[in-house]
Amino acid sequence: MANIILNTRCNRSCPYCFAKREMAESASDSTMTWENLIYIADFLKAAGQDRVSLLGGEPTLHPDFTDFVTYLLERGLDVTVFTNGVLSPTRLEECKRHLLGVRLERLSFVCNLNDPVQTPPLPGETKKLRAFLALMGPWVSPGFNIYRLDFALDFIFDNINRFGLKRHIRLGITHPLPGKQTSYIHPKDMRKVIRRLFSFRHLFDSTRVSPGLDCGFPICKFTDKELGWLHRFNNPSHFRCGPAFDIAPDMSVYHCFPLSNYRRRSLFEFDSLGQLFEHFSDLRQEAKTEIPGIFDECDSCRYQESGVCSGGGLCQALSRLTNEAPVRIAEIEHELAKNRLPV
Amino acid sequence: MNLPKIVCPFDPGLIQSITGCALVVRVKHISDVAEAAEQVGKSRNRLACVIVESDDPLADMKFPEQLQNIPLAVMAVSFGRFSNLARQVNMLRGLNLRVYLPCANPENIAGLRILSSLGIHGCAMFGNGATDWEAIADLMTYALLERTPHGSIEPFTFIASNYDPLSYLDWGFLYFDDPERFLHLDENGRVALSHAELLKQRFIADNILELSEPAKCLAISDRQEAWREYFIDNHPCASCDGWKICVGRFAARIPEDRGCSDFFREMLSVVRQYKARKIESKEHPIWQP
Repeated sequence: MANIILNTRCNRSCPYCFAKREMAESASDSTMTWENLIYIADFLKAAGQDRVSLLGGEPTLHPDFTDFVTYLLERGLDVTVFTNGVLSPTRLEECKRHLLGVRLERLSFVCNLNDPVQTPPLPGETKKLRAFLALMGPWVSPGFNIYRLDFALDFIFDNINRFGLKRHIRLGITHPLPGKQTSYIHPKDMRKVIRRLFSFRHLFDSTRVSPGLDCGFPICKFTDKELGWLHRFNNPSHFRCGPAFDIAPDMSVYHCFPLSNYRRRSLFEFDSLGQLFEHFSDLRQEAKTEIPGIFDECDSCRYQESGVCSGGGLCQALSRLTNEAPVRIAEIEHELAKNRLPV
Repeated sequence: MNLPKIVCPFDPGLIQSITGCALVVRVKHISDVAEAAEQVGKSRNRLACVIVESDDPLADMKFPEQLQNIPLAVMAVSFGRFSNLARQVNMLRGLNLRVYLPCANPENIAGLRILSSLGIHGCAMFGNGATDWEAIADLMTYALLERTPHGSIEPFTFIASNYDPLSYLDWGFLYFDDPERFLHLDENGRVALSHAELLKQRFIADNILELSEPAKCLAISDRQEAWREYFIDNHPCASCDGWKICVGRFAARIPEDRGCSDFFREMLSVVRQYKARKIESKEHPIWQP
């Protein structure tokens, strides 16, 4: 799956944002151009792709946002937009005019919702978010990033019912940036997160909402009962990292935000999507040779061998490496040196 | 002499007064196209195409349904917002249509690329006023070397398909600017060799009947040979590597702006790649018993 980063600006400042580094290191006004978007669409269509995701920053801040979405739909690509839902009235009006008629299976928004108690919104944010959800509700899947152990999900169910959102919550855990001292869910806390998540099981069941796990959850930290419950919703659940890649406005391409400094290349260097996948598959393979997963036990894990589980996210695994020496991947050494961490 | 196609404004009286010609009718609004075609059908002429010269952005034009069989050249001043055009894209693909956009701004250049990527044929109008030759070169490279199926972008596709290193190539007819193929009439039926000359009121005849006179025919053939002047005057264009595919079309810009020279030299190199790729992709037929 290709993620196209439309711009590097965001109108929120979430405490867990793992795109911050990439956004901070980009040119402040870095935005996707029509020429590059068309190139990407051609590249994906040539590979027979039929889906694409739009990311930011906040992608709806791009001045051509609705034009880009309608263009990609016209090119035969189904579109998923990852947004915070805080849209200006002008942009909301454009969505109303141009996107309301799009079939639900062709366009979806994953709206990252923050707990208003734990992550208080800025003045005016809530009003804008509600206006967005009220307008585009049927196209919206709520998303939630877990960045602390005492997280709550009640408010999401409330939004689902109030605005008629899709009955599916995308749950992500915040990832570390290898070589950087950022706050994230540590592997040792994974079980606590899962236990907490399942404490909301009655809400999922009673409201008929399904949970969807984003990358980074290791299968071994779930009990059989929990896995069985998940399996009923998502047939089958997966615990893999990738394959996906992000394409930045300057056409550089990388594995994902946390790994944006690893094996970063220009999309123009690749003749096909196959080459691109191979490039990042090599990165994963090399990293796995160094460190199989986020736990020591990942090394001999049958789920890892059979490809059911990636042993947590690659960024989580690499984050372990940054405190261990020596390492063979040049980019890791470079990161360590840059951040003055022990080599 | 065989009469060239006649480009005339949409005036039923004028159309009825002409007989036995292929007509290119200029209209101001897309809503006039069907009626213009109908008027030509009722006359003793045949329709070559209808040119729509609208002041509206392309995206804001409301294309009526019944245009499928009418050859259309839509000359818009700007592309507009894609989302306004999106609902008409499928219908536009089904039309016998070429969209002309002036390449004086990046939005229109992007617009031509957008249309092409959606399978809609376009034509770039450039060289008048400020011209970003690098952006035009990017568009040309896209038009000729992009492997994903897409609509043609003229004049690049025509030049690349018809380029012959041993002769020069005139592509003015793509813009209805070639007196051997097109003559332009004003509302009074007076004849000019080009649209630009019509606007300047430089007429060669008071009506098309006069065109059978030898002097008038001479005016047309003289225009065809006008390129020789560049060599007689030793104009810089005559020694430019890009001459064979531009034929001094942008001579008025020289020597202040030599961007056209760089552009056409780059285009020659892209055309060679284009030709080489065509040869490579040719199927080699296997023997049959």
